[in-house]
Amino acid sequence: MTQTKFLKSARIAAAGLAVGAMLLTGCAATGNKSGGTDAAANASAFLTIPREDMGTFVQNFNPFAPTVNPMVQQSIYESLLVFNPAKGNTVPWLATDWKAADDGKSITFTLRDGVKWSDGQPFVADDVAYTFELQKKLKGGYEYLDGVTAQGNKVTFNFNKPWSPALSDVGQLSILPKHIWSALADPEKDANAKPVGTGPYTEVDNFQAQSFVLKKNPNYWQPDKQKIAGIKMLAFAGNDGANLAAANGDVDWAPQYIPNIEKTFVSKDKDHRHYWFPPTGAMINWQLNTTKAPFNDVDVRKALSMAVDRDQVTKIGMSGYAQPADCTGLSGNYETWKNTQVKDTCTWTKHDVQQANDLLDKAGYPKGADGKRTLKDGKPFEFKISVGATSSDWLSVANVISQNLAEVGVTAKVDSPDWAAVVAGYEKGDFDSGIVWSANDPSPYKYFNTTMGTASVKPVGTKASDNYHRFGDPKADALLSDFAAATDQSKQKDIANKLQEEYNDVAPLVPLFSGPEWGAYNDTRFTGWPTQDNPYATLSVRAPSTVLVLTSLEPRK
Amino acid sequence: MRFILRRLGFYLIAFWASITLNFLLPRFMPGDPVSRMFARSLDRMQPEQLEALRKLLGVDDRPIWEQYAGYLQNILTGQMGISITRFPTPVTEVISSQIGWTLLLGGTALVIAAVVGNLLGILAAWRRGSALDSALPPVLVFIGSFPYFWLAMGALYLFGVVLGWFPIRHAFTDGLEPAFTAEFIGDVGAHLVLPALTIVLVSIGGWMLGMRNTMIATNSEDYITMAEAKGLRPGRIMLRYAARNAMLPSVTSFGMGLGFVVGGALLTEVVFAYPGVGYQLLNAVQGLDYPLMQGLFLTITAAVLLANFLVDILYVRLDPRVRSN
Repeated sequence: MTQTKFLKSARIAAAGLAVGAMLLTGCAATGNKSGGTDAAANASAFLTIPREDMGTFVQNFNPFAPTVNPMVQQSIYESLLVFNPAKGNTVPWLATDWKAADDGKSITFTLRDGVKWSDGQPFVADDVAYTFELQKKLKGGYEYLDGVTAQGNKVTFNFNKPWSPALSDVGQLSILPKHIWSALADPEKDANAKPVGTGPYTEVDNFQAQSFVLKKNPNYWQPDKQKIAGIKMLAFAGNDGANLAAANGDVDWAPQYIPNIEKTFVSKDKDHRHYWFPPTGAMINWQLNTTKAPFNDVDVRKALSMAVDRDQVTKIGMSGYAQPADCTGLSGNYETWKNTQVKDTCTWTKHDVQQANDLLDKAGYPKGADGKRTLKDGKPFEFKISVGATSSDWLSVANVISQNLAEVGVTAKVDSPDWAAVVAGYEKGDFDSGIVWSANDPSPYKYFNTTMGTASVKPVGTKASDNYHRFGDPKADALLSDFAAATDQSKQKDIANKLQEEYNDVAPLVPLFSGPEWGAYNDTRFTGWPTQDNPYATLSVRAPSTVLVLTSLEPRK
Repeated sequence: MRFILRRLGFYLIAFWASITLNFLLPRFMPGDPVSRMFARSLDRMQPEQLEALRKLLGVDDRPIWEQYAGYLQNILTGQMGISITRFPTPVTEVISSQIGWTLLLGGTALVIAAVVGNLLGILAAWRRGSALDSALPPVLVFIGSFPYFWLAMGALYLFGVVLGWFPIRHAFTDGLEPAFTAEFIGDVGAHLVLPALTIVLVSIGGWMLGMRNTMIATNSEDYITMAEAKGLRPGRIMLRYAARNAMLPSVTSFGMGLGFVVGGALLTEVVFAYPGVGYQLLNAVQGLDYPLMQGLFLTITAAVLLANFLVDILYVRLDPRVRSN
């Protein structure tokens, strides 16, 4: 580190002016490190990853903690199977095989042989059964799960009703070692400072408030896939710091949102820096509170949706990184489930001001002499769009929508208090409309259940945690229960097609765009990253598929 | 003595009022921590887990006065509970692991800014109309009026990224083990330069101007003329006669500044990824982490009141007029 004496004030002033001049002229000086192209150095290097939303770490590797430390569920603990949304495939992991019973009321997993915990103990079926007991006891949920039985290398999950969505639910839970966790007095409050897992990198090393290292699990079941020496996490109190580290070439993987990525990141080293934003995140919707008029009118919902220019929304609001929604309402995560007919004959998610106007006229919301529409009771057609003040991208999305709506004579005011206030309004049901994310799961069951299933509708005033728009459709209910009971995939696909037709008819909410999963990398030191051409995982560091990346990367030779 | 006791009583009441506010304010905010956590996790949390989490975190629906009684009792016994956003880490651990860095950064910046700023102010007033007096104050005030975020980013970019003179993040190099060795202390020092420098830059102008203005008023007092007439050395008059009396407002500001150091320099911590409690406080507020918020507010309140109390006592020594009151 350079040792420098205190700078004279004149020099400081000059420097300040220099910075200003540099920013004005847009001069892009690069501070790149020469980068280790040395194979030996790469082999002993740690895969360095920034964490942009934790200014500091605490040594707590308990997977039950609400704010879980990075990599606990990606690198330390593993699940029975790994779903890869980028390709829509499922990779067998701690289980090699699974089979649903004919009546749909149970699933049996066959566990992989030869898997050991990082302390050398064998991984057994009892560990899986215990994990679910513990999870159900501490965290609740899994109401459909009657019990888990372990026998030899097989684990059977028994349900109280035919329930096919269970596969992704139970298949993706991190499995914990019974011999460690059953010995804890209070497993929920234990810091689990020295975790024991089956994952590729489990050994916590040099834990500091702003960085820590995970080294190789000495007993990993795929030792040939532990090609990197370890993972190093760095703490940042915001995107800016993490982006600077990425631009400066100090980190190998940059999973946070980087504005203008071509210029700020890629352009500094085009050969080694790449990004890929597959549209596999949750669908981002504009949700209209259907307990309020006029949002209870399907024609109004469709007309408002047609007034929205989704190309503008994704271009201006999302820097062109996201893809506009279609009438199936499904994000890119469900590409293989999409009903192509619904998608191809789509009307109400296409920008069409003329149609929107006609539909609103027809539905009985006439334009006045001032060009503004009125409601049926004569009041002006005015409402609010709520977005949390800190989400600058969604805030511009809301602003674009508000401008679009003005073209059809509807006044929408963007309301941006703190997220806490916004969400409180969603939960109580006293909001007008808002930008909301949706459930994202391997199967589309949950998405449709929480957008139009009556079971998820809570009365206004009662706390809702999904289906904030409070829309329930009995027709969808019947299809949803059929879907849950169907055990083979072709039948599930048929029902999913019908669900999309129903969705297309009733337009429960206004889908906007598929949330992109941010991911950028610098392959100076490590190669083997997932790409659009080889989508074996997404570039997210918090997804279940992250473990696929960790076991594929290798040091550059 | 009576003066000090009276002040002490006043501080006790102020302390009670502020801890009561600490208790009430977060509870007036909409939502509860679990819903906030759910909203921030986007689709990563199961809705059916919310109830279990509420119970676990002790987000209680007891009557407010009962919560208040429990809260007061916890404060008196030094129990601050368990942080919600950092569950299951105790609040005291979250704060104590970071407050050292906050004190180091804020304390260093405050001392440098106050000492250098006051000295410059004394010199500027003593040599009125000199180059130092006419050029430096406007320049410093100009720099001080930059938005801090912009200045810090600029300094980080220029000295950290382009010139590479200083490290651009964290309190010490990743991989080093904290220890009392020359290497580690040097490393911490190097990491401290940019964050401290930017705070000094934006605050030094205020110190200098304040001191200069009081000094000018003091310089026209009769006793200064008297001292000059007696033929004392100018340096002695400047420091012992003029500066000593002109310093009282600066002492007050320093005391206040000392108290506020504990609150952390939020923006500095964000820009330079410096560990400290400022960002933690923001995080706690955003996550409606009542225990952590209360713990931090309590620490800040206590520090501000303590610093003020010390200044009060110091005043009694520095200014005899206070005593006769």
